[in-house]
Amino acid sequence: MVKSVLKRDGRRVDFNNQKIVAAILKAMNVTDGGEDIVLAAQIAQAISELDKDVMTVEEIQEVVENHLMNSPRQEVAKEYIRYRNKRNIARKAKSNEIFETIIQAQSNDITRENANMNADTPAGMMMKFASEATKSYVDECLLSDPVREAVAGNYIHIHDKDYYPTKSLTCIQHPLDLILEHGLKAGHGESRPAKRIETASVLACISMETVQNEMHGGQAIPAFDFYLAPFVRKTYEEEIDKLSELANEDYSELKSADIDDYLKHELTGLQGKERARQHAINQTVGRVHQAMEAFVHNMNTIHSRGGNQVVFSSINYGTDTSAEGRCIIREILNTTYEGVGNGSTAIFPIQIWKKKRGVSYLPEDPNYDLYKFACKVSARRFFPNFLNLDASYNQDDAWKADDPKRYEHEVATMGCRTRVYGNKFGPKTSIGRGNLSFTTINIVKLAIEAANESPDKEKRIQVFFQKLDWALDIAARQLNERFDFQKTALKKQFPLLMAGLWLGSEKLDDEDSIESVINQGTLSIGFIGLAECLIALVGKHHGESEEAQDLGLRIVSHMAEKINGYAETYQHNFTFLATPAEGLSGKFTKRDKKTFGVLPGITDKDYYTNSSHVPVYYKCTPEHKAKIEGPYHKYENAGHIFYVEVDGDATHNPEAIMRIVDLMDKYDIGYGSVNHNRNRCMDCGYENAEKDLRECPHCHGHHIDTLQRITGYLVGTTERWNAGKLAELKDRVVHE
Amino acid sequence: MKIRVLDIIPQTMADGPGFRTAIYCAGCSHKCPGCHNPQSWSFQAGEWLDVEELLEIIKADEMSNVTFSGGDPFFQVEGFTELARRIKEETDKTIWCWTGFTIEQIEASPRLAKMLPYLDVLVDGPFILSQRDTDLQFRGSANQRILYLHSAPPVDYIPGTVQTAYAYV
Repeated sequence: MVKSVLKRDGRRVDFNNQKIVAAILKAMNVTDGGEDIVLAAQIAQAISELDKDVMTVEEIQEVVENHLMNSPRQEVAKEYIRYRNKRNIARKAKSNEIFETIIQAQSNDITRENANMNADTPAGMMMKFASEATKSYVDECLLSDPVREAVAGNYIHIHDKDYYPTKSLTCIQHPLDLILEHGLKAGHGESRPAKRIETASVLACISMETVQNEMHGGQAIPAFDFYLAPFVRKTYEEEIDKLSELANEDYSELKSADIDDYLKHELTGLQGKERARQHAINQTVGRVHQAMEAFVHNMNTIHSRGGNQVVFSSINYGTDTSAEGRCIIREILNTTYEGVGNGSTAIFPIQIWKKKRGVSYLPEDPNYDLYKFACKVSARRFFPNFLNLDASYNQDDAWKADDPKRYEHEVATMGCRTRVYGNKFGPKTSIGRGNLSFTTINIVKLAIEAANESPDKEKRIQVFFQKLDWALDIAARQLNERFDFQKTALKKQFPLLMAGLWLGSEKLDDEDSIESVINQGTLSIGFIGLAECLIALVGKHHGESEEAQDLGLRIVSHMAEKINGYAETYQHNFTFLATPAEGLSGKFTKRDKKTFGVLPGITDKDYYTNSSHVPVYYKCTPEHKAKIEGPYHKYENAGHIFYVEVDGDATHNPEAIMRIVDLMDKYDIGYGSVNHNRNRCMDCGYENAEKDLRECPHCHGHHIDTLQRITGYLVGTTERWNAGKLAELKDRVVHE
Repeated sequence: MKIRVLDIIPQTMADGPGFRTAIYCAGCSHKCPGCHNPQSWSFQAGEWLDVEELLEIIKADEMSNVTFSGGDPFFQVEGFTELARRIKEETDKTIWCWTGFTIEQIEASPRLAKMLPYLDVLVDGPFILSQRDTDLQFRGSANQRILYLHSAPPVDYIPGTVQTAYAYV
């Protein structure tokens, strides 16, 4: 007996005889013979009695056609087939329409799905075509039935679904020391190990740019300062050699000289070896600065993915207290403060300050001076963001102050927030690891359904938790299915990534599958819209009601617990993400609005609030926001972020940035950053923080570029933002 | 002792360095043309709050220092002097005070000058529309000054880093 029908969009509906009868009658009506209700009913009946539980629409149509062909009314079969073809063409036309919006470089949510990608260039268009085409292939061929239904039902969202068929993994923290010490092979080029800072910084770029094409997410360097520090020393030594040769003197003993700090000084008054030493330091600082400038410039200009996307790059630094490490930190910060080109804010890499008590935070810490400068830079350039190594869940007992490789025990983050740290199948570290794939649950829809089912609050919450468990199970199942598909990929499909960058990959042969090593990565379940979910359940969000906050924490801790359980069930590193949801911000909402109508506080906007954030429209002090959002971070072990919107011109008040980091320290917040307005006149370079600036107060030009942050990434013009994100931007209020 | 208060803004980042609890008082007779806050001119605006209450609010926020603004706090100099004295005695918070008077005018008046010992920084002078400059740190027009009353302005040079437009103050 056929019980249900699987529709083309993945939805499963109850089997209904009458629909088949109606379709056959429609075809009969356009023939001379007219209707034959008995024959139509007989065919429908025969189908319903087939020995199958589920049939697809296509399968049913095949059977109807066969029955008609074998009946006295063959002319009806012809009409039926003609109608079916017409419908197929119409459906195809819809995907052609999507292609046409890409061709015409129209601005819509398809072409603006990713704010960092220029879908208007030929290479960008090509990628968009491929992306749109693979999505339906994935739906039809790669997803299991319950998963497809959950996606079609707007319950879950599979991130980077267009990349699903490629078996690619999401992201990685590069163990750059391997590349720098052993060189690399990429494309047609091969490079020797680095000997000086210029080469080292270029190799860092090439490593990220190459691996970007072997993955679908971001590329990060977990300890930028530690990795590059040795090449500062090598550069200094090279300068000493040059001077020895020039002066025909033996300065070689200077090569092992202790250097407290690489700071430029005038040579006036210095003689002999002292002069040579200081000159070499001055030259070294200059070269390191140039190398950092080149690095930043490269990261912003080389569209290495498909010719249309720069690397989603991130660098973590701040904890190397050696003179050489400090030189790297100081010069990358100087470069960032000055800006690229004529002084524009660099969009990439996302920079992350590793804040650690005793190292890079307190006034008595060795890197306190650079921390203070980092806050100034952030006030002007949005970066660095701040990663709190002191958060209870970010600490590691294996960290020792005198261990030269202590960075291996420091958590590092992708700029967007993705965090990979704990490991059930290997060492606890961020390095050489990354996320494998993400899937996000629409908890708002679950809450609306629960509310519709029960007017009683307690009952409603109980129903919600049941639905939540169902959605979590589906998401875990889906991630596991994708893992099973990903693991069939061969090492040779990822020539650089799997040549030793990914933890354990060095021992694989070209024809080996990656199965044995990818369990080092994480499968992450995320969520968005806790605020709207709580409004649906108890009438208020967690920023404004203690009851809502208690329930919010109950929901999130419950999810964390379930997700930890999947790690045992499936034997993978399952983790829990506070989803950034760039492309997702409006997608869930738009469909829920269609289903449920406009619900005040829930579907009355064009977006759902990011993960466990307090809504952007809610006005409160930064400390209140920290107090509410902080407790969620320890559960969200796949990544989280805390934002504060600064009122006024942040460059006037760099100390406020330090206070925001203090909030992170106080409320056990893992990762955070500061949002503010930054206008730049593209004609004269004037900058300020005025809201909605249209005309430059200096040169009266109208080419104003306003920088904003979108899911952790900076975006200059908002032209590439999708509708949901734009609506969210409009609602953002400052915290005071 | 009471102060007529228009608004209290907790943890503001726009009225002096770091986070600050800003007490905006009611009443100002300077009436500078182009004032961004003319609703604060009336001495009848806002409500009376006891110094004690204000002190509680200020103390409750561990992270914030204090800003007096308005209005002009010097039109309620008795109340604000009392509040400033208590803040200095009972907390280690700094006080920044904005006024439309110049420091010379204040020093010339024994009544107004009573508050100065308790203030860390005075931002002085009327807002002069013709000297308006939106790029100034914490000020509206170029005649206004940030005056450190009891210490030298902080030096904020970080060796090896590029000079930034604004210092930690």
